[in-house]
Amino acid sequence: MWQGFKSLFIGKPSGEVAKGRLHLVLAHDRTGLDGGRLQEMRKEIAEVIARFVDIDPDAVDIQIETRNRETQLTVSSAIAPRNA
Amino acid sequence: MGRAIVITSGKGGVGKTTTTANLGTALAQLGHTVVLVDADIGLRNLDVVMGLENRIVYHVVDVIRGKCTLQKALIKDRRLDNLWLLPASQTDDKDAVTPDDMKTLVMELKGSYDFVLIDCPAGIEQGFKNAIAGADEAAVVATPEVSSIRDADRVVGLLAAAEVPARLIVNRISPHLVKRGDMLSQADVIEILALEMLGAIPLDDQVIATTNKGVPAVLEGKSLAAKEFIRIAKVMAGHEVEAKSSVGFFSRIGRALGLSATA
Repeated sequence: MWQGFKSLFIGKPSGEVAKGRLHLVLAHDRTGLDGGRLQEMRKEIAEVIARFVDIDPDAVDIQIETRNRETQLTVSSAIAPRNA
Repeated sequence: MGRAIVITSGKGGVGKTTTTANLGTALAQLGHTVVLVDADIGLRNLDVVMGLENRIVYHVVDVIRGKCTLQKALIKDRRLDNLWLLPASQTDDKDAVTPDDMKTLVMELKGSYDFVLIDCPAGIEQGFKNAIAGADEAAVVATPEVSSIRDADRVVGLLAAAEVPARLIVNRISPHLVKRGDMLSQADVIEILALEMLGAIPLDDQVIATTNKGVPAVLEGKSLAAKEFIRIAKVMAGHEVEAKSSVGFFSRIGRALGLSATA
């Protein structure tokens, strides 16, 4: 996931890279969750969703973003077509 | 009753002590009575930045332990009539002081001085808790770097939890690096930390040179950093900030930072 974010910043002025990195780092810091706890949460959320709809639990993604000291948690997951 | 303002940052080395010395000196130059409190117990530094290191007899821990009166520990700055320093102890550790001790001490100082500026140690542990305990408000110092801003954000969260209102001072901003895109701008830092801004101090060789001599830059007055320290002191004290003296500086910085001149 981090490699993906890093590739987004290549070629930008370093100040902009710093800003992008800070938005991500602060969003994570503000949740007070370390990487392990976050993965645990992702796994449990995936399991709950999988009980109701057909998803690939490994493809559930959690994004944390922050704007104006408000931090937003977004969970996204592709749902398999019903006849698949 | 005076106001107690803690100068804090989380990260070390971003200019808390230099900021405390300069804002305190500038507030005294504006005619206010000011006491600077070094809350960095064990790593005393405000005395050397102020050039008062040879005059220390007693310190803050002596006062708290009742070894001497508050009056005896205060050092009067000979350059200005209304500026005082309460030095830290260099031999004790942070646990020698409790938040309640600091509250009592700061309350007593507020009874006699217009401004009590508290120089907070780096970190967010006991020393930080002591330093913010008696503060009515905070000035958070951050340099435009990822590590400093990250730590400042943590401190802002802790100050909010302690119900201490905080404003931001961006230190060591380099307009030409911002212009080139290689430094976070003042606007970027405000956006990221979502904090009201007191001012932005430009990176200035004069601050290093005057600090070498134990003279706060504002006493030698003419550098860009000194002018901004004086402007921030006026904002803190609620003085009218004259448009004329700050317009040139601000529009120049503003242009360099990609902002329109607001002054």
